[in-house]
Amino acid sequence: MTVSSAKPSVTGAPRIRHRGRQRRRLVGLLFLAPAVVLIAVFTITPFFQAILLSFQSWDGVSPDTPFVGLANYRYVFADTEFWASMKNVAVFGIVGFFVGNGVSLGMAMAVQAVTRGKTFFRTVYYLPSVLSVVVVGMIFSSLLDPQTGILNRMLHSAGLGVLAKDWLNNPAVALPTVVAVFIWLHWGFGFLLFLAGLQDIPKELYEAASLDGARFWGKFRYVTWPGLAPVTTVVSMLTLLAALQIFGTVQVLTNGGPGYHTMVPTLVIYTEAFTNNSYGTAAAMSVLFGGALVLLSLLQLRLSARRNRA
Amino acid sequence: MTTLRPSRRRRAVRVDRIGLYGLLGVAAVIALFPIFWMLSGSLQSLQQLLTGGRLLPTTFEWGNYVTAWVKGNLGVYLLNSVIYTGCAVIGILIVASLAGYALARLEFWGKNVFTVLILTVMIIPAPAMFLAQYRLLVNLGLANTRLGYILILITAGIPMSTLIMRSFFAGQPKDLEEAAAIDGASALRIFANVILPLARPGLAAVAVIQGFGAWNEYLMALVVFNNNNLMPIQRGLTSFVSAETPQPQILLAATMISIVPVVVFYLMAQRQIVNGISAGALK
Repeated sequence: MTVSSAKPSVTGAPRIRHRGRQRRRLVGLLFLAPAVVLIAVFTITPFFQAILLSFQSWDGVSPDTPFVGLANYRYVFADTEFWASMKNVAVFGIVGFFVGNGVSLGMAMAVQAVTRGKTFFRTVYYLPSVLSVVVVGMIFSSLLDPQTGILNRMLHSAGLGVLAKDWLNNPAVALPTVVAVFIWLHWGFGFLLFLAGLQDIPKELYEAASLDGARFWGKFRYVTWPGLAPVTTVVSMLTLLAALQIFGTVQVLTNGGPGYHTMVPTLVIYTEAFTNNSYGTAAAMSVLFGGALVLLSLLQLRLSARRNRA
Repeated sequence: MTTLRPSRRRRAVRVDRIGLYGLLGVAAVIALFPIFWMLSGSLQSLQQLLTGGRLLPTTFEWGNYVTAWVKGNLGVYLLNSVIYTGCAVIGILIVASLAGYALARLEFWGKNVFTVLILTVMIIPAPAMFLAQYRLLVNLGLANTRLGYILILITAGIPMSTLIMRSFFAGQPKDLEEAAAIDGASALRIFANVILPLARPGLAAVAVIQGFGAWNEYLMALVVFNNNNLMPIQRGLTSFVSAETPQPQILLAATMISIVPVVVFYLMAQRQIVNGISAGALK
């Protein structure tokens, strides 16, 4: 009696559970499907199409896209504008990385050190980051304008008239000026993340360091810097990638000029395609430049993976 | 001697603090001054600007704003931006919370492959793709359409939002959904009635980050649209410049109008925004 009543439940239960598991498996795929379909169509397909297009010639309207072999790449390798833009964007990257991240970290430590007004300063410092690249470009075009802008006017009133310049049209200062605008617009982002990171470092570590006789530098070296390491990795990488992909701000401020003095790769790619209607060479540029960015991200992932293991 | 030392230290601390607040104040002025100039310049007349730009307007030219609004077609652009941002955020929330939940809680074939896929597409940068994305939209008949632009915005937001939602769901207790499963509720029902209501903080973080991202997006808007009636505000502003070459004070007024929605939202939802952005980048 007991044996016969137990038997069906022993064989039945696993079968039901098994069917349930199979259904759950299908459910998982269904939940994931919209994301995967969108990514496949609008990210992965264009990624490979860009590579394909870099071996073709296309004027943007014609249905024919004949293969041209390596001609686009030969053109790009000889193109002075493209390489000038690569050199300029390296300046954006290096200065953004060191100066931008340095300002972000320094100001986060300063805000963390005070007791009153933390929220106020945080709100103000992040404010530029909520503005679009177009808005920032418009604001600084006006501020730096030699006729109607306020900056030169203020330099004159302060007796520093010799420093007044045509900031965006003078080849000697245009690139540093645009880099400074990038830092103004972007440092609040790193600042916000560094501040969050600082708040997560346990206070006891600082107290222990004080007891060991550590002064400001010692605390920074042995508590703050190691405590912030994960945040520093993320912030440096995101700042670097933002600097290298800069586009809208430059387009509005200088459109790459004077000459190619502030030209950046994304703007060259855009102009080559949508102004010169030479989509094949533009695709070759985007493969070269995009490939470099991907390599950089992979390198960073490797480095941070190694650090996490250690 | 013994009474002198603490007081000297206290004075040193006070000097430190004054220096610190001095630094914070200077940084605040640098952060705010350009925005202040936009406001001040937008209220001056062309004559005031041409005679060398004053810090404050001598007479307030409120009419600049009317001119900017009418000539700049700003009502249309702002409405478009609201539509695009709203659709993008809602789309991203739905797609990314479903995907994040699947990756955090459900077992299925190929789960690891899909996780790696989502991580990998995150490192493909916009400069490598925007050209081919444009060509794809042309081939699909979606260039210069609202739908095409919204689909691009949603796709751009999915990877990071999915990862945020995944880490959010992974940190939640399983009891409730298990109880609901025993009661015989379907997976979709459990998701909609049990999981999502508890996921509000994660959804808010995603909505905030992607909302700003969509509102401020420029590159794809530049590429996708040539019909002014469909352009979002960022694209509309640069179109205003190239089509009308407005006077500087009018352009400043138009720019000022364009930032009102984001700045008001930022100041109102400041805490959620700060938390959302930290969570988004660091999780």
